[in-house]
Amino acid sequence: MSDNTSTHMHTPPEPLIRVRHLRKHFSVRQRGSGSGLAGRFARGTREVRAVHDISFDVQRGEIVGYVGPNGAGKSTTIKMLTGILTPSGGEAVVDGLVPWKQRRDLTRRIGAVFGQRTQLWWDLPLIESFNLLRHIYRIPEERFRHNLAHYREVLDLDAFITTPVRQLSLGQRMRGDLTAALLHDPPMLYLDEPTIGLDVVAKARVRTFLQTMQRERGVTVLLTTHDMDDIQHLCSRMLIIDHGQLLYDGSVDAIRQRFGGERTLVVDLDGDHADDVPLIAPGAVQVRADGPRRWLQFQREQTSAAALIGHVSAAYRVRDLTLEEPDIEGIVRRIYEAGTVGAMPPSAQADA
Amino acid sequence: MTTNTHANPTPGQTPGQTPAPAPHRPPGASRVQQQVDILRHELALYGVLVRARVRAQWQYRSSFLIMTSVTFIGLLGELLALVLLLHRFDSIAGWTLGEIALLYALASISFGMAEMVGAGFDLFPQVIRRGEFDQVLLRPVSIFTQTLASDFQLRRLGRIAQGCVALAISVQAGVIDWTLARLLYLPLVLGSGMLFFLALFVCGATLCFWTVESSQLINVFTNGGTELATYPLPIYHVALQRFFTFVVPTAFVSYVPALFLLGRLDGSGWPRWSVALPPLSAAAFALAAFALWRVGVRHYRSTGS
Repeated sequence: MSDNTSTHMHTPPEPLIRVRHLRKHFSVRQRGSGSGLAGRFARGTREVRAVHDISFDVQRGEIVGYVGPNGAGKSTTIKMLTGILTPSGGEAVVDGLVPWKQRRDLTRRIGAVFGQRTQLWWDLPLIESFNLLRHIYRIPEERFRHNLAHYREVLDLDAFITTPVRQLSLGQRMRGDLTAALLHDPPMLYLDEPTIGLDVVAKARVRTFLQTMQRERGVTVLLTTHDMDDIQHLCSRMLIIDHGQLLYDGSVDAIRQRFGGERTLVVDLDGDHADDVPLIAPGAVQVRADGPRRWLQFQREQTSAAALIGHVSAAYRVRDLTLEEPDIEGIVRRIYEAGTVGAMPPSAQADA
Repeated sequence: MTTNTHANPTPGQTPGQTPAPAPHRPPGASRVQQQVDILRHELALYGVLVRARVRAQWQYRSSFLIMTSVTFIGLLGELLALVLLLHRFDSIAGWTLGEIALLYALASISFGMAEMVGAGFDLFPQVIRRGEFDQVLLRPVSIFTQTLASDFQLRRLGRIAQGCVALAISVQAGVIDWTLARLLYLPLVLGSGMLFFLALFVCGATLCFWTVESSQLINVFTNGGTELATYPLPIYHVALQRFFTFVVPTAFVSYVPALFLLGRLDGSGWPRWSVALPPLSAAAFALAAFALWRVGVRHYRSTGS
């Protein structure tokens, strides 16, 4: 197999990732609905467009959030950009290589962490996984020692580096996995749900680490997540995907102002209140009521949470208050309902 | 081999970036040298990864020792049953105890070695089901080497030990008239028998790329194949004999090698050049299995499941 697409970059600065009209369609075999043998083996195939005509760039040193509901096409995209999956059409270049054609060359230039799985050796002490990876990636001894010392310090690995991986906590394992993904100095790091299942402290630690890696080593990161906090803390830019199509590509600030501005204050009133008497508060609208529990929606620009809480608790007898930020799923849903935003191509109706 | 033969196409690494660690290929190395280098790297890695597996299993050494002895004792019982059977009937289809024990030894030792080395393929359905195969595709080592090295079942030594007992029985019975050719032929056919069973495991693993449910299917040929290889081929129905000669060539694991080792080739209906068939058929079968495997990997990478 030979291809000439890999070499010769023309105009610097070349993006680290360049994706054009990338598509992945699966044909799913449908079982006939009829009963009996004829029904069961009636072969219908249905085409599922997991990723349909996606284009974007990722510049060197960027941390880009890639979000969307489950089944939107995030993992499929990442699998194509790591060379695991061959696309149905379109182009992609990662650090000068076509992932699915030069998969093995690419493996040396990317690191990947898939949150729910580990690439560490389950039964062996953590340090052994690192030693094995040194052989697998043929990391020069000197560089390996230097890198390992660095990550041991930054991620505080020493306390559990001789513990078998199966005995590590989720947070410890994630630190181990991050080290494993970075030992060979890849300029590109893919993270699939890196903070899933972690407690608050562990999440913060992972985020700080990624920021440091970006700042000090210029590592480029593409991460998928359901956690809006990840996006807020880490990403300057986000891509939103649903039904295999990009709905948004732009800054996180812009999207928050435009779609994430509506917050909800949940008020539990003390005593009996009839459902038909809505709460009155300046800058907020009661959108739902359930006995003594009321939902007040308000815009970030119109009133602050503090002012609203002050007003409500002065005017009513309140037992409890909860502030709800719009979650990423909600934002994505709203964006999807609103159709496409910005300079995206109009979303052709995905097949049902 | 795969696409790794490109001469490291990274002319434009942006300055200020941490450079990707260069694979240790001298810049002017020829294609052949590169391939040799890659092959040497793969072999070395196989050793490193297998040693890691053994270390992991050695952590549970009492469990390992118990499992191995239990297997060994269980299999020894099987062998004992055979001995008692032949004690009663003297021979099966004209084959005496010593001769049957040789068949048994050939089948058991080669199957045991294949099970030990090829456990990664044997357990491949789990790898697919748990979605761990993606991880394999993210590493700069051939998929085949990684899968082969992903497991190493030390406890299969139990079966190999049982095979060795059978071999001892056979040698003790004095049925083999040892010549230099036969002395050299024995390890050769054990090796090709192992290769044959390994290829079967690879075929079984390959099926998983299409359906994980079929993983038991291959056991018909692996476990069934060893069972079958334990007895002289002519006791089976002609259709079965042909199937296990031409389709899944189990006949070359024990029966044909035993004919030569026992000096029974003349008058068996097999031509003299059949002695060359065990290694040749195993090699052909392994090549076919490897080709099938590559088709499977390509299928996986286009469907992701």
